[in-house]
Amino acid sequence: MNSLLWPIVVPAVAGFLCLLIPRRVRVVREVLALVATVWTFVVAIQIFRGGEYFLQQDWLQFGSFAVAFDLRAYQFSSFVLMFIGFFGLVVASYSAAYMAKSDVGKRYYTYLLWTVAAASGVVLSDNLMILLMFWEIATILFYLLVTLGGTKQSSAAARKSFTILGFSDCALLLGIVFLWAIGGSLSISHLSVKLGSGFAYITFILCAVGALAKAGAWPVHSWVPAAAEGAPTPVMAFLPASLDKLLGIYLLARLSLDLFIMDRAMGLVLMILGAITIIFAVMMALVQHDLKKLLSFHAVSQVGYMVLGIGTGVPIGIMGGLFHMVNNAIYKTCLFLSAGAVEKRAKTTDLVKLGGLASAMPVTFGVTVIASLSISGVPPFNGFFSKWLIYQSLVSIQQPIFLIAAMFGSALTLASFIKVLYSVFWGERPKKLHGIKEVGFLMAWPMVALALLCVLFGFAAQYPLQKFIGPVVGFNFEGVPEKVSMVNALWSPTLATALMIVGLMVGLIIYLLGRVGRRREARAFIGGEVLDTDQTRVAGTGFYDTIRNLSGFRGVYNDADKGVFDPYFLGGKLGAKLVRALQDLHDGVLSSYLSWSLIGLGILLFLMMM
Amino acid sequence: MERAFYPLVYFLIFPGFLFTSIIGLLASWVDRKVTARVQWRVGPPWYQPFVDILKLMGKETIVPAGHKASFFLLAPLLGLIGVTLVSTILWVLNLNPGSSFVGDLVVILYLFTLPSLAVIIGGAASKNPLGALGASREMKLVLGYELPFLIAIFTVVVKIGSILFQDILGFQQINGIMLRHPSGIIAFVVAIICTQAKLTMVPFDIPEAEQEILSGPFVEYSGAPLAVYKLTRAMMLFTLPVFLITVFWGGLQFSGWDLLWTVLKYVALLVIIILIKNTNPRLRIDQAMRFLWGPVTVLAILGMVLAVVGL
Repeated sequence: MNSLLWPIVVPAVAGFLCLLIPRRVRVVREVLALVATVWTFVVAIQIFRGGEYFLQQDWLQFGSFAVAFDLRAYQFSSFVLMFIGFFGLVVASYSAAYMAKSDVGKRYYTYLLWTVAAASGVVLSDNLMILLMFWEIATILFYLLVTLGGTKQSSAAARKSFTILGFSDCALLLGIVFLWAIGGSLSISHLSVKLGSGFAYITFILCAVGALAKAGAWPVHSWVPAAAEGAPTPVMAFLPASLDKLLGIYLLARLSLDLFIMDRAMGLVLMILGAITIIFAVMMALVQHDLKKLLSFHAVSQVGYMVLGIGTGVPIGIMGGLFHMVNNAIYKTCLFLSAGAVEKRAKTTDLVKLGGLASAMPVTFGVTVIASLSISGVPPFNGFFSKWLIYQSLVSIQQPIFLIAAMFGSALTLASFIKVLYSVFWGERPKKLHGIKEVGFLMAWPMVALALLCVLFGFAAQYPLQKFIGPVVGFNFEGVPEKVSMVNALWSPTLATALMIVGLMVGLIIYLLGRVGRRREARAFIGGEVLDTDQTRVAGTGFYDTIRNLSGFRGVYNDADKGVFDPYFLGGKLGAKLVRALQDLHDGVLSSYLSWSLIGLGILLFLMMM
Repeated sequence: MERAFYPLVYFLIFPGFLFTSIIGLLASWVDRKVTARVQWRVGPPWYQPFVDILKLMGKETIVPAGHKASFFLLAPLLGLIGVTLVSTILWVLNLNPGSSFVGDLVVILYLFTLPSLAVIIGGAASKNPLGALGASREMKLVLGYELPFLIAIFTVVVKIGSILFQDILGFQQINGIMLRHPSGIIAFVVAIICTQAKLTMVPFDIPEAEQEILSGPFVEYSGAPLAVYKLTRAMMLFTLPVFLITVFWGGLQFSGWDLLWTVLKYVALLVIIILIKNTNPRLRIDQAMRFLWGPVTVLAILGMVLAVVGL
């Protein structure tokens, strides 16, 4: 069998087997899932190292509408494939502990493995219809995974996600058909359409809607926060946080790199969408009270950077966008997994009810700090580097407005994560949460591995850039660079990190001289009062109420709470109006139905005569 | 060996940690002395800030009870690292304008947030409601000034078209300082207001507000960690004006009479900051945010528009 089929077939078959394994032998199922994902990951690494592979298999042919089962692995697709394998492995391991007590474990692993298979199919396929088929399977599996949450909210969330994703997938289908009409082929590696005519623009927009909805960009983002309300946390970590980003941005990058020859106008549209996504979603995240929902808004906000980077159309920007896609998948998955760990132990993700878990869950706390600093772009972590690349590209094309939006968005992100860290890990622990323990190894190692990657991809960012991302846009660094120096930009992550460590040592020497080691503990000083800790607890949820209450913002936030910026809500309203209009036509009188039928028959006959 | 040696010397001795902290502490003495004179007091002798730091180093360190206090103690160091690195980069590039060292303007802007972040983390990790309140105020203040500050700084970038310091300095050497342009002046004014907020000096000392929340994030700190905070703040008082001079005012020159001119530029900025501090009452956090996101941002945008049309 061609090695390109392995990453699709192995998880798919393993998924089937999971269905057959009886409910009681949970361990077998978990081991099977782990083995399948490890295998996928290893095969993906082999494919990546092997260079370019093809698999060509004719399938359906309707004239020039040839749906061939073509697969192609090259630099870009195989590096995305590798990360799909990696995230599959990480989430499968985590779920073994997280889903231990759940009675939906059987279906859960099946869907999880099938999702890995479908995602592998998307990135490997070289035919647009095949891509769409796998894409659609991934959408359906996401619907099924969200319903596994098992609550009333879960089914509502699943419905909402499926509606938005299904709608945008329709747009993608239409776009692909249009693309075939213009380019005369469905083969991705043969197509290269020049933007210019109105029809080509519409085609691009339709395809882009599909990609952007999957990635979760504004205005087709609202399924992400909705899903966060109902889906099990590992599902959020797996799909909206990592795989959907990889797939959506992968498609967007293919669209703008290969399928279309971009022009400035479309690039500008993408950049505007990106900037709005960053600011809008992060402003929403600032005022959330639920950990999972807050993280989901960040999952939206970060897409803005990727879209912005790709929209610039210059190699550095696209490189930054793609690197940010990888980095975001890493730290966002880490954040969702740690949220899941907190949820597992504290039984809630409500920020008001959490607090002071730092000493009880030190590992979870540590990884959350690292991931939070990464997502906020604090140097020298990985998020800083990819954002920095995007900023460089914005400087080079002279777009200060977008640059300011992006950098300010990153300050807002930091603010939002300060709130998370304070509300969950610092602050006073509510009495209800005393006696909480750290999660076990199976849940801990994925988080730690991801946090380590955040650090590694930060201070040694040259290597992933050189190995994975540079070649995609034909950007080659000379030798092994010790600093990334471009025509008009400079950042030496390794030197900076080294100096920061030296600075830390200076600080520690100061502490040594100040004999900090021999410290004394004392009660917190609150004006000399001795109060009950549950009374003096300040919940972090009120941190940014000032912003919410600023005159210009109050109305906007209230509108957002009502769903004014949510296409699902707006579409629902419109649909309800339409249905009501149609309802009015149903008056229950036989003669009016008959007359409608006659009119219809007349129109049909008329059309047939022509 | 040599490659690793020079950055280390830069970072630790000159122009990094040792140099910046000495000048910074002297600057904080100037602050205290001028403030005292404005208030008809005599003021401390020049070595007072040094003695203060020494004394704090000798004091006992007390941490809030009931947790490991790791982040409580690490937070002050984060700020120290940030400001030392910024100062090192700025001075190395000013001393040797052609060189490339560590990072560009974007890097500096990010590193400049580390001292504020340190205060926020310290306050949030201090297990004290007043600390948490102070931390949230500091964070909101950061959001408040960051927007106009970014616009002001990127006004210069629009003018120059590069974010490398060698280009910023080179451009100003050839075409004259940024303050010759109306857009540059507006951006400079905005940047000074934001500097005041970055230093959390009156009228923006809302996070500390001694009379109201007992100096907020610092309420639980004592001994060496408090000394590190004080030192960081003194170093910021030195580094931020140097940054403004580099970006708007032609940078630092060191040959002959230019050296005196450089010192005068810095002292002028310092005196402006101190005078603003001494002639204003403290704002509330919502007033500060409204001020920074309102008039100040509008002013900054005006400067940006002027820069885009070429003024």
